[in-house]
This record gives sequence, structure tokens and C-alpha cells, in this order.
Amino acid sequence: MSALFLNTHSALNHADWKVRLARLDWYLLTVVLALMSFGLVMILSASIDLAAHSYKDPWFFFKRHALYLCVALVGAIMIFSLPSQAWNRLGIVFLIIGIALLVAVLIPGVGKMVNGSRRWLGVGPFSLQASEAAKFCFIVFFASFLSRRTFEFKNGWSAFFKLLVILGAFVILLLLEPDFGSSVVLCITAGAMMFIAGVPVLRFVFLALLAVVGLAFMAVASPYRWQRLVTFLDPWADQFSSGYQLVQSLIAFGRGEWFGLGLGNSLQKLFFLPEAHTDFIFSIVAEEFGLIGALVLVACFVILVWRILLLAFKAYKQEAFFASYCAMGVAMLFSAQAFINMGVASGLLPTKGLTLPFVSSGGSSLLVCTALIALVLRLGWELNDE
Amino acid sequence: MSTSKGAWFKQWRFGTICCVVAVLPAALIWHLSYLQVMPGQEKGHDFLQAQGQARTLREQKINAYRGVITDRNGELLAVSTPVVSIAVNPQVIAPNDIVRLAKALNLSAKDLTKKLQRFSNKQFMYVARQLPPHEAANATQLKIRGVIAQREYQRYYPAGEVAAHLVGFTNIDDIGQEGMELALDNHLAGAPGAQRVIKDLKGNIVKDLGVVRSASPGGDVALSIDLRLQYLAYRELKLAMSVQKAKSGSIVMLDVTTGEVLAMVNQPSYNPNDRANIKPNQTRNRAMTDVIEPGSTVKPFTVMAALETGRYTPESIINTNPGFVRVGRKTFIDPRNYGEIDLGTVIQKSSQVGISKLALDLPQNVVRTMFERLGFGQSTGTGFPGESLGVLPSRSKWHPIETATLAFGYGLTVTPLQLAQAYVTVANSGQTRPISLLKQDEIPAATQVVDAKVADQIAVMLKRVTERGGTATRAQTSAYLTAGKTGTAHKVGENGYADDKYVATFAGMAPANDPRVVTVVVINEPTSGHYYGGEAAAPVFASVTDSSLRLLNVPPNNSQHAEGVKQVARR
Repeated sequence: MSALFLNTHSALNHADWKVRLARLDWYLLTVVLALMSFGLVMILSASIDLAAHSYKDPWFFFKRHALYLCVALVGAIMIFSLPSQAWNRLGIVFLIIGIALLVAVLIPGVGKMVNGSRRWLGVGPFSLQASEAAKFCFIVFFASFLSRRTFEFKNGWSAFFKLLVILGAFVILLLLEPDFGSSVVLCITAGAMMFIAGVPVLRFVFLALLAVVGLAFMAVASPYRWQRLVTFLDPWADQFSSGYQLVQSLIAFGRGEWFGLGLGNSLQKLFFLPEAHTDFIFSIVAEEFGLIGALVLVACFVILVWRILLLAFKAYKQEAFFASYCAMGVAMLFSAQAFINMGVASGLLPTKGLTLPFVSSGGSSLLVCTALIALVLRLGWELNDE
Repeated sequence: MSTSKGAWFKQWRFGTICCVVAVLPAALIWHLSYLQVMPGQEKGHDFLQAQGQARTLREQKINAYRGVITDRNGELLAVSTPVVSIAVNPQVIAPNDIVRLAKALNLSAKDLTKKLQRFSNKQFMYVARQLPPHEAANATQLKIRGVIAQREYQRYYPAGEVAAHLVGFTNIDDIGQEGMELALDNHLAGAPGAQRVIKDLKGNIVKDLGVVRSASPGGDVALSIDLRLQYLAYRELKLAMSVQKAKSGSIVMLDVTTGEVLAMVNQPSYNPNDRANIKPNQTRNRAMTDVIEPGSTVKPFTVMAALETGRYTPESIINTNPGFVRVGRKTFIDPRNYGEIDLGTVIQKSSQVGISKLALDLPQNVVRTMFERLGFGQSTGTGFPGESLGVLPSRSKWHPIETATLAFGYGLTVTPLQLAQAYVTVANSGQTRPISLLKQDEIPAATQVVDAKVADQIAVMLKRVTERGGTATRAQTSAYLTAGKTGTAHKVGENGYADDKYVATFAGMAPANDPRVVTVVVINEPTSGHYYGGEAAAPVFASVTDSSLRLLNVPPNNSQHAEGVKQVARR
């Protein structure tokens, strides 16, 4: 941990640069850049007709996403430039920011209502999805908290309950929006982080059961979630009402077969499948590139998660617990979010409004995912400095 | 990395997470392969693709070419020409494109915008229908989004008003509405083909998968009419109408040996190619749809009935003294007292008194049965839409006045075609055939409805009508000997029969000694003063018959006619 700051002195010699560059996780970076590029292409393909129809500009969503991508990359460089120790120290600040964002979005006038959910904060011409930013804040705070109070919550109850209260606060705020999908992802992420941090197994099992029961109750208690559950089991029964989107998505998968219809040849994107360029972009990938294309995309996410898990393990061995828990959180966030998104699109899971990281059109998600990856890259970069 | 390998197992918590995380993509891959490639799944890709096709695959109609209608010699009467209709999807077309489209089609952009606003919740709206292909190309060349070009066929009628009533017309959707276009619609229409296309949710064609079933063109129809005869009949009728200032008129010409209609024209007529301002009364094929009281034209049939009873011969004498006869409370008068005359003279002079006395002497129903055998009150068998049957009254007991009036053509109604059919029976030695509006490949079998000898005797009597001393000398032509009978019927007005409204009729055959054609001329309400059948209708008959026989290459028999005239003179 000698290099806490990224020094760009002109005095650095050539060999130094080579060593420094080698420290970067190139696999992870390559996979992320590949996903970003693929996402850009797929957004154009999936949205071109919708954009031409709704905005009279076929490139509308592409341009918007490309702009977000530029902002995200600039942000990523900034995050990468910060030493991880700074994040660790600022943990409590992120807790406050995260809670503040989630509270702010619930205030009418501040939070924008879209499709019955209050999820958006207007920031000038842009709008920010509070839950996405909150995910970032939560992971950083949680990792910081876990790494500093390891002994306390392993052996006592008070710290454990503090964790529960904080997690509960996030989940409840998310459910108030309502954003069921994000709270599920957050629970999984937090659970995995606590598990790695060494929460006793019995306690963990108790916690997991509590979460499952709670979420199940939420699902049953709310009529629209229950409707989604029933629809997901047999979308063809309500194929022209509540099952419409899933049915259209399944048709996209069926059309794809092995190799797909080819880039740009999707039929479902021609107004049949709503949200084809956002939450259901995986269906269009499967339709245009077939099972092979879908498998390649799944493989990309597997590599991405695997690289971050490796980092988490390596950091754990080096007893860099903040880095380890942080990486574990990010890995779980990506795996949960990608799996749920793909599972929803293919009818494996009930419908949730979750984006596919780096591929779906959606500025907040892209910014936050890129920031998380930048953080992970920085953590790995520091770690390899042995 | 090699050193870390062992540590993975020690760190079971990491191992557990890895296992859980590994299960997720595995489940996803299993599920995807089930959806996308596994064969024989209940809701696998075959089912999904079929569902997808049900939502996107559409069949588009390819309009079939409608069969042509020709006359008996192959002259075109109705023909389909390819045209293009321009339509738009109001939900797709952009406002500035509306202006461009309107300009290309020479329409008012303001009106088009207004119309599009009215149809803004629809996905299809016609902008201009049935344009010539080169005009439609102006619009399609612009390649405007949301503009649809449909290939259609428009009917064109080369003979125009001349054959309009018989041929009829189709509507804008190429469906028969009148005349033979309606009667033979199934045969003419053909079967539309289908083209398979993929459409998106907004109705735009995404992909053309080609023709599934090509359109099979409709069958052609050859009518029995001869366009040359039709033209000249029409010309003569139109001329007579304007000279006589009549209300309407019809001419029917039948082929004696086959029962085919050679010409059928009516006035007033209309131009089927421009129907913007036509009135319903112009569209009636009066020769078949309208009925008239035949008047004196049925007198030969009364005589025919008398001859058939055996109680009369052509030489039988009827005493018409003193030139009138009282029947019930009515008195029927001849123009002058003809005295004692034979049956031929009764017909020649069209004697009311003679016919009345003859009819009253016959057993009841003999005349009516004769009329029935000649086809009155029944369908001629043409199948023409709207054809009238006429009315032939049927009574259990006939009053003398009813017997008498029926005998000279009142109290019953016939169509001009039915009258012509009856005269064909006389011209054809008592044989009748079904009337045909279609060209017959084989001559249909004839039915003997009247004794051949009797029918021939009537035909001989009819020759005298056009000779000197007859009522229709003006039906005679210079080249051909003709035979026939006039009729002048009072029209029914508000208070019974009107004194000043007439239907002038002439029904005749030519050449008289070997008839080829039977022609019926009906002039309805001539107002120029000449209302007798012999004055109003007979000259039209003469000119039509003369020209027609020439066109049909019938050798003139002028000499015989001249001889006949001499014989009459010697008498």
C-alpha cells in the first residue's frame, strides 16, 4: 500500500509506466469496454424505429447514450484517480448521501413520477435515478463499516443490529418509491458482503430467512406485484393485457434460434416489444444474434463477475478488507442485476424494472456501473502493488 | 495464482458465493436453450415463432384482373385497365410530407391536412383513387413514409352509352352493380391473389415475402349483341327520340333462328365512364325492366288463337258493320266502317271491331292461353337483374269487356323483350327458344308452342300490314320485304287511360318471307303529334331493319316487294 496516490510525474521512467500499466486488470477493463461498445450498438439497433417515430430522429437514443457514456468515462477516470483509502474514510458520508437521495426522491416536486414510481431526481436537463446512486453509496459505506467493525459484529449483537437497521432503512426507502427490484439486488449484495465479512452462519441464515419472508410478503401484499407473479407463470393466459410484454419478449427469443436474424433484423423492436432498448434489450440481442449471441453476452458478465470475485479474494488474503468487501459487493450487484434482467426478459423470473449493466439504455445505470468498475479497477490496481 | 488455489477451499465462504454465482448463469443458459433451440418443446421456438408470425405475417390482396365483356364478334364492351390508388397511414405521415404529397397529386394541401386530421385515429385513408399509373408515380416517387400505393383495375366501357344498359357497370371496388356486370359478377371477377408481407405494429411493410397465390383473372364474356347493329339501333332511336320529343324508347332485335339478342338499346341512356351526374331513370334497361300495355301488337296472336281452334281459317269473314261494336257498356269503334273483311284484313287494318267480335266468339281462356304459351307473364330466361315478368291476368270468369280488351292488348303488360320473343315464335313457324343475352355456341333446342301452319298463316297476314292499305306502310324498306304489326296504346294516367299520352309500338320481322330478325320498337309518349305506332315506331323499325340486314349480308328481295306492290295494285 505504498502508492496511495496516482502520481503522474514527468520524472517517471518508462519501466515504471510498464509496471504500473501491468497492474491494471486488463481482462476486466476489456470486458467492460466490450460490453459498453456492444451496448451502444444494440441501443441503436433496438431504438432506431422508436426514435424515428417518437422523436423524428433515428439516432436520438444512441446520441443520448453516447453522451452519457462520455460523462461516465470522465467520471470513471476521476474515480480511478482517487485512492481507495479516501472512500473508506468517507464511508459515513456516503451513508448520509445515499439516505438523503432516497428521501429526496420521495418528496413530491423533487422526485419525478414515471409510470407510477417516484424514482427520478431532476438535475438540470438530466435526471438521475436515485436508487442507482444509492447502490453505489451503500456498497462503499457497507464495505467501510464492515471492514472497520469486523470484530464487533462477529462477536456482539449491537453492531449486527446497526447493520440491519441501515440495510432496513435503504430497503424500506426503496420500497416506498416503489423499486422492488433494486431492494432485492441491494439485499443480495448486502447479504454477500456480510457473509464474506464473517457474520456467524446461524445469524446469517436467520437474516436470509427474514429477508426472504419480508420480500415474499411484499410481493403477495401488493396487487400489481402479485399480478406480475401470476402473469410470469403463464404469460400466454393474459397475452394481450398484463402478459403482453413478456409474450413479445419470449417471441423475440423464439425467433433467434441458434444464430439469430442478424444485427438490425429484429421484428420485435418494431413497436411490438415495449422498452426494447432499456429493460428488455437482452430479448433483442437474443433475437438478432440467437442463442450464441446471448451466450456470449452471458459469458461476458461471467468473466466480469469472476474477475471482481478474484480481486475480492485476493484482497481478503492480503487482509485489505475494505477492498475485498467492496469488490464482493460490486460483484454481487452486477451478477444479481444482470441475472435478474436476463431472467426477467426470458421469462425465468417475474417482471422487475432492472437494467442490464452497460447494455441497456439508461444514463443513471450507466454512470453508476461505470463508477463501480472504476472503483474496482482502482482497488485492484492498489492491491497488486506488492 | 497457484498458491491461492489451496486457499479457495479453506475460504469456504468464498467457495459458497462462487457456487451460488455460478448457478445463476447455468440456470439462465439452460432456460435460454429451452426457449431458443431445444426441439419439441411445448412452448419452444416453434411455438414462439408461430406466435410471432401470427402478429406480424399478413397477407395482402392482389387484385384480380376482371374478365372483359365483348360483343358476339369480339368487340370490346367492358375492359379493365390497371390504375393505382394512393392511400396514406395518417398516423405515420409527417406534416411536411402531406404538403409534398398534395403537390404531387395536384390536391389542396389544406384540404388534405384537414381530411387527415379527421382520420388521425385510423391507419388507412385513401387520398386519390384510381389514378393513371403515370400520375400515381408522381406521388410514389417521393418515397414518403406512410404512403401506400395499391394496384387496382378500373373498368372502361368503350361502347359508352350505346351498350350501357346491357353491359352495366362496376363500382369503385370492381364489383358489378348493374347489367351483365352484376349478373355475371362471379364469373367476371376472378379470384384475388395473395402476397405475404411482414408488417410492424404500425402497419408498415417491413419485408415482402413474395406472392403466395397469384391472382387468377376472371373469365371473359361474349354477349350475343352485335355492336354494329347495337350502334345503328341506338343511333336511330336517339334520332327518333329527338325528332318526336318522346319521353323514352327502346329497340330490341332478336335473331329468329337462335333466340339471341342482337341489339337492345334504350333512351335515355348514360355514359358509364362518367357517372358523376347520372339519374336513376337513365340507368334502367327499359327493354327488360319496364312494362307496357302492348295494344294492337298482340292482335295477331288473338287471330292465331282463333285459327288454332279450327273454327276459323284465314279466309273466314268477320262482319265489322256498322264500324262499331258495343261490349257491355263500352263501344269500340274502327276509324271507318270496313264492312265484311277476312282475318288478314282485320290485322292489316287493326280493326278493333273485328278483333272484339272474334274474341267474343272464342271459348274462354283461348286467347289467354295463347299469350301464356308465347311467354307473356313469364321470364324470358335471360337472368338479367331486374327483369320484369309483366302481368298476364288470370281469371276464373271472363267478362265480355275483359275478353275483348285482352284480345286487343289492354289489361296485360309485357316487356318489349317479351313482345319480341312472341314475334320470334310467329317468325319461326311456331317454335320458341329461350332468349339469350350471351353468345350461344350451340343453338338451343326449340319448343313448338304453336302449330307451324297456323304460325305461318299469321306471318303471311303480317306482311299485309306493311303493304299499301296496311297501318304501317312506313315500316316497309326499299330493299327488304318486312312484316309486322303496329300498336298504339293509351297510357294509364291519374284518371284511368289518358287521352293524350300514348305508347307507340311496332313489332316486326324481316325479310318477310324468310325472317332473320325480329325487331320491336317502343316509343314512349311521343309529343310531336305523330303518336300512332305506324307513324312513330314503324319508320324507326324500317331504317333499323334495312341497315341491319345489309350488315348481316342478307340479300335484298326488293323485286318480290315490288311484285307484291303490283299485286295489291291490281286488286
